[in-house]
Amino acid sequence: MLFLIAILLSLSVVFQPELAHAYIGPGAGFAVVGSFLVMFTAIGSALLVLITWPLRYAIRAIRYRRVFAKSRFKKVVVLGLDGMDYSLTKKWLKEGKLPNFSKLYELGCFKPLATTVPSISPVAWSTFQTGSNPGKHNIFDFLTRDRKTYAAKLSSTDIRGPSKTLTVGKYRIPLGSPDIRLLRKGIPFWKILGDHGIFSSIMRVPITFPTEKFYGLQLSAMCAPDLRGTQGMFSYYTTEDNGNDTSTGGEYYLVTKNDNHIKADLIGPHDPMLKVGTPLTCPFTISITDQSSAVLKLNGDSYRLTRGVYSDWIKVVFKASLGVKVSGICKFLLIETEPEFRLYVTPVNIDPEKPAMPISYPQVYATYLAKRQGPYATLGLAEDSWALNEKCISDDDFLQQCLQADQEREKMFFDSLENIKRGLCVCVFDGTDRIQHTFWRQMDEQHPVHQGDYQPPDSPAIEKIYKQADKLVGKTMQKCADPDTLLMVISDHGFNAFRYGVDLNLWLEQNGYLTLKENGRGKKNLAGVDWPQTRAFAIGLAGIFLNLKGREAQGIVDQKTEAAQLRNEITEKLRELTDPARNKPVIKQVYNARSIYSGPYKNDSPDLLIGYQFGYRASWETAVGQVTDRLFHENLKAWSGDHCIDHSLVPGILFCNRVIENEHPRLMDIGPTVLNMFGITVPGHMDGKPLQVADDAAEASKAPAPEL
Amino acid sequence: MSLLIQLITGTNIVTNALGGFFLQPVAVLPGWLSITAISAVLGVFLLIIFKYTSNQKAIACTRDDIKANLLAVKLFKDNIVVTFRSQVKVFAGAFRLLFHSIVPMLVMIVPVSLILAQMGLWYQTRPLQPGDAPAVIKLTLNDALQTWPQVTLEPLPNVKVVTGPVRIVSKKEIVWKIEPVEDGYATLVFHVGDQIFTKQLAVGNGFMRLNPKRPGPQFSDILLFPLEKPFGPNAEVQSISIDYPERPSRIYGTDWWILYFFIASMVFALLFKPLLKVRI
Repeated sequence: MLFLIAILLSLSVVFQPELAHAYIGPGAGFAVVGSFLVMFTAIGSALLVLITWPLRYAIRAIRYRRVFAKSRFKKVVVLGLDGMDYSLTKKWLKEGKLPNFSKLYELGCFKPLATTVPSISPVAWSTFQTGSNPGKHNIFDFLTRDRKTYAAKLSSTDIRGPSKTLTVGKYRIPLGSPDIRLLRKGIPFWKILGDHGIFSSIMRVPITFPTEKFYGLQLSAMCAPDLRGTQGMFSYYTTEDNGNDTSTGGEYYLVTKNDNHIKADLIGPHDPMLKVGTPLTCPFTISITDQSSAVLKLNGDSYRLTRGVYSDWIKVVFKASLGVKVSGICKFLLIETEPEFRLYVTPVNIDPEKPAMPISYPQVYATYLAKRQGPYATLGLAEDSWALNEKCISDDDFLQQCLQADQEREKMFFDSLENIKRGLCVCVFDGTDRIQHTFWRQMDEQHPVHQGDYQPPDSPAIEKIYKQADKLVGKTMQKCADPDTLLMVISDHGFNAFRYGVDLNLWLEQNGYLTLKENGRGKKNLAGVDWPQTRAFAIGLAGIFLNLKGREAQGIVDQKTEAAQLRNEITEKLRELTDPARNKPVIKQVYNARSIYSGPYKNDSPDLLIGYQFGYRASWETAVGQVTDRLFHENLKAWSGDHCIDHSLVPGILFCNRVIENEHPRLMDIGPTVLNMFGITVPGHMDGKPLQVADDAAEASKAPAPEL
Repeated sequence: MSLLIQLITGTNIVTNALGGFFLQPVAVLPGWLSITAISAVLGVFLLIIFKYTSNQKAIACTRDDIKANLLAVKLFKDNIVVTFRSQVKVFAGAFRLLFHSIVPMLVMIVPVSLILAQMGLWYQTRPLQPGDAPAVIKLTLNDALQTWPQVTLEPLPNVKVVTGPVRIVSKKEIVWKIEPVEDGYATLVFHVGDQIFTKQLAVGNGFMRLNPKRPGPQFSDILLFPLEKPFGPNAEVQSISIDYPERPSRIYGTDWWILYFFIASMVFALLFKPLLKVRI
């Protein structure tokens, strides 16, 4: 009855002309005013476009007429499937499990794509971007060493605080932006395209953080940090005290359950306004409702958590001093409520809606994507394989995470395909890489992770992700059906088993090239090494550095008289390294960086790059500069597949909707090929060469594709 | 009387009581302060109503969509197709926003109209003051009356009748001019034939709750002038109005107060929007 009265009254008021001016509240008032503002803005911008577009079009048409005239395609699309392996693809193509790849092959071609030395993603994708060898782009590994301290540091990005600050008491007020530098050198080919008036959209290509200015849009990927500035620090809250507090890539927090309520803090970045920066925290509470669900209360909002299901991205606001707020996003996964409580929280990603760091170019591109499709992962390594390695999350949980990240990316990729009519679209999907890293064990019956008899699953996760990639290719082909569009599907490298880790530093010690200080064994970041007695050391996954005078802080090897001999000596000995327990050769090839690289940065690379045989890789300990007491370590982690082996053993893939004549295409040829397709002369500094792409798909498709 | 008029008349009894209680401080506070305080309280209150009567999720999606399309215009500025497609989507988004505000508008329109009517009693006009120019009192007779009745105004100690009664036969109106003598509320008593009709009069400085018109059975008049009971449709008198002077202020003066209230309440709502997590 009351409702009826209200409606009657409402209608009568609405239809009373005398009250037409009546104001009906700030909310509705806003909505009305807001709507009109939106309309005025749209009309204004439409007028502006109408006035300026013909002028801009004319200028571009005149300025870039030669490029436009010589372009063989209006649009080039490069779909990157990180780590997609040539042999596996070929196998499943033959078995008919990848129908869309098969169509693409029949339409154009499928070839192995030669990767870089070393075959590591940051190196490979940097070569893809610049069309040049690592000696010209300065990325040789994920990690490099600090020349002063020998400690491991990220090779691609250097993040420092702002250079100018104002100190008032305990506060330190930044007077500028943080100094974030991309250490990858060289010029990406899309910058050259932009200089010739060709627009590009570059999404999630590794080693693009911080983003660079060019004519196009870019969203950065691998090596983009989380809000704390790390490469991804997950949080794990549990009532079970197992003595852990930190693990690789994550932090454990012991919590207490009080009447089914748990109180804890999410750890954020350091307070940027304090001289002595303490980590910011964001308190949250969990109220367990039953065995399979709980309610999370955070920042004044409530969210329902269901066991085994990731929450949506949840915005977390950290309150720093002087009223400053820093926001991030993360997902919560309730793992268990009884008998122990377990909660996993993803690393706090930079909020794409209000990015705290330059994750996109222009800055608003990240915001645009967030508004268009909702929050999305911004962390470089969005899939948290560390949490899986540490057994904090299950295989299924990790798989979910990978698929969700790829779904987010698919949306942004298709949005870009939709919006770009002339130009370049590049998007890299990481699910293939992460899942092969972590699920190779399912296909490798000899992997040391299996104890006793092992029955591989009928449909391993890797096969699933390849089929998923196949569906993506199918959808992409539909969107690239225009004969003026060139589609290439590529990967940066292939994959194989990682069964045993090799402690290169121990090998160097055993062969007299490295000396440890007393009690120096087991210390990370090469802190246990006696430098005045050490001629060579290993850090990262790629190879061995000589302790060169004038290059390293405590170098002892003379660059002119000793270095070459030492390189040869170590190379010869390493080639003979065998695994006595399995009686297998460990190393396929050792490469001298001075011989295989050219360019201004070749002296910064590891002196020797190790090409391991199938099943071997630098050990986890070697990567972080730790010397152990065993040369060979069984790899018992979920991270059971890898590509940090000899490059010839792990080629990537190249599919194209046109026939490519070249027998042995290389990853470094893709950039020059794209330039060539747009009629742009490939600059002399690029090492890659344009591939020979057939003109007409229809003509080429008349001839049957060669048998696989 | 129709059901609607009975409804609004009944509602006025409640709102008069509430308005009399809650708006009492207007009488003693400076005008700018009282209207700002009312705007602040109502701005926040109505914002909360908006939050719970609107589809917040849909509004957030629409806002995001509009922003994405506006950014698309900037990001893909060299692509005329994308630009115009985005513009069209922006327009569509603006209409969707309007659509999403219909329900809260319908919900709020009744209480807000009643509140505005109560505020109008304080701000729309000022009371008569001794020394003012004579004010006009106008009594309108029922059109249905066949004969012109005897109409008189009872003398009052604090009011001096300077002119009238003057009959305007064509309009069935009788007009007086009065001069206030003394501050305070008074009741004007009119004798129409053998019937008695009354109307409140306010004389004084500052802010007084006053009703410029005692209405007849017109819905809009009853809503706008809620303080006195309306005349019935068969009553000899259909309205009595007093021509109170305008209040000269750009903040709380005649007609300006509603504009100020509109802006101030929006500003306060805007300030509280993030705190209350309301999407509008």
